[in-house]
Amino acid sequence: MATRSQDTTRARVGEGQGREESGDGGVLGPQAKRAALAGVGLALLVRGVRRRSLRGIGTALAGGWLLTRAIRSGNGKREARGGAGRRGSSAGSAAVSRTISVGKSADELYEAWRDPETFARVMSHVADVTPSANDRHHWTVHTPYGRAVSWETRIVEDDPGQIVRWATPGDAVVSHEGAVRFREAAGGRGTEMTLTVSFDPPGGALGDAVLKRLGMAPEMLVGQALARFKSLVESGEIPTLEGNPSARGEGDLL
Amino acid sequence: MRALTWHGEQDVRVEDVPRPQIVNPTDAIIEVTATAICGSDLHLYHGRVPSMQEGDVLGHEPMGEVIEVGDEVETLEVGDRVVVPFTISCGSCWFCENDLYSLCDNSNPNAEIAREVMGHSPAGLFGYSHMLGGYAGGQAEYLRVPYADVGPIKIESDLSDEEVLFLSDIFPTGYMAAENADIEPADTVAVWGCGPVGQFAIQSAQMMGADRVIAIDRVPERLEMAREHGDAVPIDYSEEDVYHRLMELTANRGPDSCIDAVGTDAHGTGLVDATDRMKRSVKLEDDRPYVLREAIRCCRKGGTLSVPGVYVGRMDNFPFGPLMNKALTVKTGQTHVQRYLGPLLERIEEGEIDPSFVVTHEASLEDGPDLYRKFNDKEDDCIKVVLRP
Repeated sequence: MATRSQDTTRARVGEGQGREESGDGGVLGPQAKRAALAGVGLALLVRGVRRRSLRGIGTALAGGWLLTRAIRSGNGKREARGGAGRRGSSAGSAAVSRTISVGKSADELYEAWRDPETFARVMSHVADVTPSANDRHHWTVHTPYGRAVSWETRIVEDDPGQIVRWATPGDAVVSHEGAVRFREAAGGRGTEMTLTVSFDPPGGALGDAVLKRLGMAPEMLVGQALARFKSLVESGEIPTLEGNPSARGEGDLL
Repeated sequence: MRALTWHGEQDVRVEDVPRPQIVNPTDAIIEVTATAICGSDLHLYHGRVPSMQEGDVLGHEPMGEVIEVGDEVETLEVGDRVVVPFTISCGSCWFCENDLYSLCDNSNPNAEIAREVMGHSPAGLFGYSHMLGGYAGGQAEYLRVPYADVGPIKIESDLSDEEVLFLSDIFPTGYMAAENADIEPADTVAVWGCGPVGQFAIQSAQMMGADRVIAIDRVPERLEMAREHGDAVPIDYSEEDVYHRLMELTANRGPDSCIDAVGTDAHGTGLVDATDRMKRSVKLEDDRPYVLREAIRCCRKGGTLSVPGVYVGRMDNFPFGPLMNKALTVKTGQTHVQRYLGPLLERIEEGEIDPSFVVTHEASLEDGPDLYRKFNDKEDDCIKVVLRP
């Protein structure tokens, strides 16, 4: 498997470079946003480390991610070199991407990905996804405070065995885009599939909701979605700690 | 149900916890009839394995009776008597298909955390930290066993629990350690650590045709067991310098293979120990490298170092130069238990080995905390504990 620097990249996706940011993201100036971002990141990092639990590790990693973004976006040169096409300040919509090997053919994986039930199960750690007519999906993320954020995506590119790409309509309040690509692996080792997902700018409605609900860095969420899909198609189930007994009670979901 | 739970350093308790249920279609629920305390449980007991949470159910050497199966379980039925391997493996990923079960790609629900820490995630394990799966362990009345068609082995003969229980971990672990040592006839094999895994490594090395096996420990009854059951030459490291004694025994050649069956809780001596203690106290080091350093120093040039002992993080002052210049081969890993279940059960059934020789203590689950302490303190000649929930 590739190293972290090779398989985790961030790139600007979509055409909406000049687009006004969604949610409350457009209200703050870049400096204030960066400061807010660093503040949230640091708070998560401290909280995560204090908790000394697995979820704490996730929270700490999310905090570290936000903090790194805040620091990086303050350094224009570094941004331009390392950003692989990513532009602008922290307000830019960043994508995270991860590749995984799965022991099935590209066609089988494509079929499974397009199956609404499979897709909903794979994404259920992030959002409730329900299919609607004309290749549309309705996504809802519930935050711990009872607030729900939802949005709709449409499949904008669909090439069997090659790629599926989806996006929110241009005028949507929440912006989200994703794509999954399939490529045959060498030596009969199945298929290498790459999932790329763009997140709202941190501090925006979606990034905020997702982070609050899961306390995890987007890279990890993308990694989890891929791992869940791989487990489902290879072994027929997704590993789970649902109902896992402990002296803390039942269930042990991260 | 009653279960033995972890609450921090040297604090384990027996408590009421919820009973496990079938969750995934290939799960089975086992009513545990016998379950052992493993030497690697002591790494948890010392609080040295990261990502444990208060209240976690311990235990990864269980056997019992199947009382419920998921809809898609094909090979097991209610009433079957099974031994459950400590490695949880899906049976269908590239690693499982290549018999590398402890590296299963699919069984760890917390794979992303393990990946952040180690670069990749190994398989989920029972009762062995959240980074390695977070699954409740088998020192309990009931156990949920995922991928029930892949892990558990059915016991259809009338062998006793004590004769087959150790197929769950320590017998295959000792056996794989010997296999990893690449033993050739006329070879001398040195085994550091005469706990249960060391005992099985010694016997397995003999089965594989080693000319001579040398057993290193400081606990008299463990050295005696190695001599009596494993026909090993004992070295008590508290009395003799291991390097000099091994050179004496091998005419300065060094053992052809060295097996580290101790792992992270090794004991050091003198100034070196004091330095390592200091490093650990300021978090510069996680593991205790004494056995590894010594084994690298002692091993024959071009020999093999096999490491079944569990390590948890980073170590300092690792003699990589000697390892490189002496051209040693290192083999290690959590045991691919599923690979060995059938062949080793056959050896037990044919009377080639009776693994129950390691058992020194049997008790109820309620006595678990006391036996963790006894086992840890090596009190009362305690070598292997079997609990009966």
